[in-house]
Amino acid sequence: MEQYANVAFAGIRDRDLVPFGHRVCGWRVGADHRTMTILVPDESLPRLVESLQQNGELAVTVEEFPSHETYQFKGKYRHHRGVQDGDAEAAERVRQRFVKSLRPMYAHAPENVLRAFVSPPALVIEFEVLEIYLQTPGPGAGTRIIPPAEG
Amino acid sequence: MRTTRLPPEIRQVLENGTPSAMVTCSADGKPNTTVISQVYYVDETHTALSFQFFSKTIRNVRENPRAFVCVFDIAGQAHWALELAFERSETEGPVFDAMDMQIEAIASMTGMSGIFKLRAADIYRVLSVERVPHRAVE
Repeated sequence: MEQYANVAFAGIRDRDLVPFGHRVCGWRVGADHRTMTILVPDESLPRLVESLQQNGELAVTVEEFPSHETYQFKGKYRHHRGVQDGDAEAAERVRQRFVKSLRPMYAHAPENVLRAFVSPPALVIEFEVLEIYLQTPGPGAGTRIIPPAEG
Repeated sequence: MRTTRLPPEIRQVLENGTPSAMVTCSADGKPNTTVISQVYYVDETHTALSFQFFSKTIRNVRENPRAFVCVFDIAGQAHWALELAFERSETEGPVFDAMDMQIEAIASMTGMSGIFKLRAADIYRVLSVERVPHRAVE
């Protein structure tokens, strides 16, 4: 999914168990294969950071459009940082894949309109991945892949 | 600007065929994200979401009724953030019939015929709605 997915979204919740979501403009798997880093744009960042620091719960769905191959990564927040060298380039790779996948449906849309869907990153969040679920639409959607479901 | 009623301009965004993102939370505090194919306008204060599979989302909103939906307006370079509360599930009636027809159309357009199947129309009360413009990219 690091190489070909083109859409992602993060889910968080506050201390009152009220869920909310955040757009994601880039992602990478950690070298240890146990962590994942997501890049998020400058929207509702105080609420996002406060919730992550308060309870640490994070879920991220990553999809390849238009095939709809989708996975959800659930885990625990580790830390966050500002944008560094290479982060904007990672978002740009996602942006280019997104524009390429959308172009057949938006044949006449200006390039800048499609590119604006993947906003520049403003914050980088690392989390430990504890569970991975298949979410591709169909009978197998919701199956836990990591750790493997029992039975 | 955040309001508690769905403005008229959101209707065309809800009908643009672009998948939306949804976040729910279990009673033990685990958030869950998913992609949903349809957010149906019921009235100014209610939306309906399709219940197609016995998913974690369906279980979560029956434990904890709060939900968050992000509706994307690609052409308008913005998204809409909706905070919702699950109210009830309908398996017949005008909302169910209209959603069933739309699901068939979406399934046909996206190559998912036979996979998308409406079990119920889940009705949610709108707690807040906000349009969030996207920053321009160089």
